Amino acid sequence: MIRPIELCLLLSACAAAPVLAQTPSRTVDTLTEWWLAPGDGRVLPAYVEYENDLGRLGIVNAGGPVETAGHPFFEPLGTNGRACVSCHQPADGMSLSVATIRRIWEATNGTDPIFAPVDGMNCPNLSRGDPASHSLLLERGLFRIALPWPPVDADGRRITPEFTLEVVRDPTGCNTHPVYGVNGERREVSVYRRPRPAANLRYVVSSRFGVTPFIGKTGMLAAVDPETGRPVNMNMMADAREPTLATQAQSAARTHMEVEKPLSPEQLEKIRELELQLYAAQAFSNGAGRLDEPGGPSGLGPRAMERGEDGVLGNNTTRFVIPMENKWADLPEGRDAEERERNAFRESVQRGHDVFFFRTFWIRDAMHINTVGLGNPIKRTCATCHGMHMTGMDTANGWMDVGTTNHPWALEPPESPWADKLPELPLFKITCREDLPPHPFLGRVIYTQDPGRALISGKCEDVGAIVMQQFRGLAARAPYFSNGSAANLRELVDFYDRRFNIRLTEQERIDLVNFLSVL
Amino acid sequence: MRGAHLVTAFAVLASAAAAAPPPGERISFVSCPIVRDTRSVPCWLAEYEGETYYLTIQSDVSAEVQPPMLGHRVLVEGVVSDAPPICGGIVLRPVRLSVMPELDANCNTLLPADERYTIDFAPRPPGPSGGRLAFARDPNAPPARPAPEGPQTLDIYFDFDKGVSFRHPGELMSILRIARELPARRVRITGVRGAHRLSDGTLLRESDGVARRRAEEVASLLRGAGLEADAEIDWIDGEAEADGIDDWRSRRVTVVLTP
Repeated sequence: MIRPIELCLLLSACAAAPVLAQTPSRTVDTLTEWWLAPGDGRVLPAYVEYENDLGRLGIVNAGGPVETAGHPFFEPLGTNGRACVSCHQPADGMSLSVATIRRIWEATNGTDPIFAPVDGMNCPNLSRGDPASHSLLLERGLFRIALPWPPVDADGRRITPEFTLEVVRDPTGCNTHPVYGVNGERREVSVYRRPRPAANLRYVVSSRFGVTPFIGKTGMLAAVDPETGRPVNMNMMADAREPTLATQAQSAARTHMEVEKPLSPEQLEKIRELELQLYAAQAFSNGAGRLDEPGGPSGLGPRAMERGEDGVLGNNTTRFVIPMENKWADLPEGRDAEERERNAFRESVQRGHDVFFFRTFWIRDAMHINTVGLGNPIKRTCATCHGMHMTGMDTANGWMDVGTTNHPWALEPPESPWADKLPELPLFKITCREDLPPHPFLGRVIYTQDPGRALISGKCEDVGAIVMQQFRGLAARAPYFSNGSAANLRELVDFYDRRFNIRLTEQERIDLVNFLSVL
Repeated sequence: MRGAHLVTAFAVLASAAAAAPPPGERISFVSCPIVRDTRSVPCWLAEYEGETYYLTIQSDVSAEVQPPMLGHRVLVEGVVSDAPPICGGIVLRPVRLSVMPELDANCNTLLPADERYTIDFAPRPPGPSGGRLAFARDPNAPPARPAPEGPQTLDIYFDFDKGVSFRHPGELMSILRIARELPARRVRITGVRGAHRLSDGTLLRESDGVARRRAEEVASLLRGAGLEADAEIDWIDGEAEADGIDDWRSRRVTVVLTP
């Protein structure tokens, strides 16, 4: 089913984007219209919208229409048929939702390259095509990330970690496998993570705030761009293991696409250029209507992302994180039922913004926020950590441990003889060295599903620390958190409420969810 | 019997009052920090020998005195001030705080806001306020100092038993800058293991090996950030002097840059 939309009249950019005339509904039947398969040879227009459960996501392609044929982002360059676009779909905010993964499974009987054994299965040794072998991808949208153990630095030198790592639970079988396991031939740790959005990256990789040779939160050395030798903000990947878009693309080509030879400098530059010209945000909300209409909140919609200034702390004296200018506060009741409903939803979004920005609570025992000179606990708001203007990321070096992967906070099915569901993710026991200070909140023995940044830095204090993600296009790319543990926005909000004992009211939860849904 | 109780209670109060240290007295102790919420931002207190001391408030990352952590004891080194009590605590000013690295579940007191206690501090509200960011450069700050000449000695101070942390990027950058401006041909980096004479006479010493760890860490970081001169590293791990006067200065690395 193809549904025409009318917004071309409202968007000046539509003049340059005549392709924007239709929004394909997101079903298997219309797959070829919203799913960009590698090598499809289509045009990514200057502006396009895609339906999702909560409205429509808009993609601004600021450099103008891109022919995907021959473009290294869209072509299958490796041996497994994947391209970058396989896991960074425009319709999913340049990420990949679990709903999309399931549709692709259904449409291709599990033969699409995203289900490649290397990381589209729980472990490469399993039998391809059996849903059980792909359960983490099909159920939580997680790809396997295999990292060397012990860690190695950017020059390939082995790092002596501050801790030992034991596999306590291995539901995928990969971490104890004789080839792929921690003590196997390859000496790898397998963790399972969501693909991050390859949009709004001008913000994500900006080095205009707080980037020095030393990481502001820890004093350790910042990673450097191998081409320029300059420090970078280390905000791109879940564990900050790659410093630049080019090194990330090269690494992803090797590990996820299984290329036989490295990408050329020209290919890397084309990928980088494209990634820096893509902006994604929700453009239409089923509840709030157009998010980018003239006179509306200036921080909403993908055009706002295109216009916005990067490298700016949003929770500061001059800017909000997501500017709304109180435009949706105290709206008139509305002339008819539809307008009343829309205005009520908009007021809810505004209240959600205010909860995000002003509602204080005690932030406690969170590594890399309670350890940076503010004290433990601190009485602050969501925007304290999610402070980057326009994205809600951290402004620099944004890895923190809020408990998404570490015990006792990480979400898990309860261990019980009567439980229908068993834990799906591995569990590692981390034992920190006695001759060094312990982790300030978790001590010397830590249980974690994913050691996060610690698998790169080897630091005890980094166990479970994950670089926070941007807030834009959330409606298009559930589930959330690096381990896909929040199936929807309500679960995400509930996690924070439980973790920090915020005691949000039901109305505050609804308002926060509505606010997040329009970003 | 009741009268005896009252007398005892009075005597205890009188004794506590008499024990309150006079303004100007240095005081050093290790205890659990206490958070007291207020209408605006929380204040931080600590108790020692029956007295409550005010340490600091929650403000911003660039605050002169940064709050400690619940879940850990805190080493307090301060001077009793004659300022009016804040949040019900005797004000220590100046005060130096160091979070003790080991976890201590006993340190878990978070007191609710109490109208008797207010603080004379209006925190910057979230969002645009027209104010100045705490870590933005003060427009009235003096100009940068002139280019250094001759050997330069720079000290970096540490929390108890800790290495490089969020406190140090600025200091490490300064060392790098001065090393380049000189330019430094020789660099000597000396780690020191600190010791503290507490007010009750206890000698509190940092762990074996911390001096070497600090020196090697600072050298490695400076080298990694581009310090070109070869660094000579040593450390002082022996019996440190401690007299209860600014003992925090003993937890340090000294960097000597020689042109």
